[in-house]
Amino acid sequence: MDNTTHFGFKDVATEDKQGMVRGVFDSVASKYDLMNDVLSFGAHRLWKRYTIASSNVKTGDKVLDIAGGTGDLAIEFRKKVGDSGQVILSDINAAMLGEGRKNLTNKGIFGVDFVQLNAQYLPFKDNTFDCISIAFGLRNVTDKDQALREMHRILKPGGCLLILEFSTTDSEFLKKFYDFYSFNIMPKLGEIIADDKDSYQYLAESIRKHPDQETLKDMVLEAGFGFCEYHNLSGGIVALHKGIKA
Amino acid sequence: MQHFVLEQALNFLIQNGDINLKPLDQKIIRFSLKDLPLEVDFVCTNNRIFVVNDINNVSDVDIKLTANVFFALFKGEDLTDLLKQDKIIIHGDVKTAQLLVDMLQAVDIDAEEILSQYTGDIVAHEIGKITGKIKKITQESSNPLEALKDSVSNFLINPSVSKTYKNNKH
Ligand SMILES: C[S@@+](CC[C@H](N)C(=O)[O-])C[C@H]1O[C@@H](n2cnc3c(N)ncnc32)[C@H](O)[C@@H]1O
Repeated sequence: MDNTTHFGFKDVATEDKQGMVRGVFDSVASKYDLMNDVLSFGAHRLWKRYTIASSNVKTGDKVLDIAGGTGDLAIEFRKKVGDSGQVILSDINAAMLGEGRKNLTNKGIFGVDFVQLNAQYLPFKDNTFDCISIAFGLRNVTDKDQALREMHRILKPGGCLLILEFSTTDSEFLKKFYDFYSFNIMPKLGEIIADDKDSYQYLAESIRKHPDQETLKDMVLEAGFGFCEYHNLSGGIVALHKGIKA
Repeated sequence: MQHFVLEQALNFLIQNGDINLKPLDQKIIRFSLKDLPLEVDFVCTNNRIFVVNDINNVSDVDIKLTANVFFALFKGEDLTDLLKQDKIIIHGDVKTAQLLVDMLQAVDIDAEEILSQYTGDIVAHEIGKITGKIKKITQESSNPLEALKDSVSNFLINPSVSKTYKNNKH
């Protein structure tokens, strides 16, 4: 059995990847929100807004945000589910969760639970959640299939999975621009603003290694979901996959 | 995009108590238009409706009709009359179909605008009209502005039509 996996463009031992990903997010945590705004020209806010709007989440729902980082989605879900609902902001990385906690407190958002977890092993009972989201997180997970099966297990029947992730654009022009931007400008900006060129080099590489829209859709269906559809955002630079547990 | 608007509007009504979804629980209702490449599945589950596009799942009710009859339904035309005139073909439980049609009529959305994506590009002023409809629906909402912003952000990002077909590689 092959026990290597990719870390950006490098092949690494499977058991080492999670630790290396942790290193990246430990390093970027404090500058994460600023960098997100700068690198995406603020577009990540629109992508996330569209994700929330597509979620169909309503008052009283139970929502789990995986790889939730600084909590952008959790904040909006909390507003949607109200006091009768529950939102859990989870992440594998304590530093990112810490930033999330700070961010929510600063914004006056209370009543969100925080859980440190690995997307591959979700410590919840079967059929628990109405909605699970993972934004810009899945590409960092070592065994994505296992993580998707776990998400399927803990969703209620009729529950909805939302995966927001960088993806593949069909437009030659966008592709060229995007390649130049992510391999030349992104690491440079990472160096200037966050003093961390390597982490942003990894982020650019991990995006290229992530499955394209159709492959990810098949993976979601393979994990047991009854429906899966995706919408391309910004010409396919980002895609939102929506799976429904039958 | 048209799925998004319909889904938002239907679920808004469900959440605000205007619609009882219980009789439709676990039902998949498929609308296919004969003259436009459009098939919409209404998946009723977990107290909400997902409007998706999935030809591989088996539906409980199949409704076949032309675009014009589809528009007529949204404008309040009687389903039984249309059935009698053979303008609409239903495979499956007619009562389930009737429940969904009642719901679509309650939503008060201009289906022609929603479907304009299939007959040509939606131009800017039409976008305004659709969000206007949503605004009307959300008038009673505690937060109508959020609902509007959600739908507007959708246009800013301009998602393409989704592809959903299981095991159907393009
Ligand atoms: C790019 S950030 C995204 C944060 C947030 N969702 C957002 O959209 O702004 C990716 C996050 O995934 C987390 N992560 C990486 N691998 C993970 C895993 N196996 N399980 C859970 N979280 C993971 C990282 O710690 C990091 O916070």
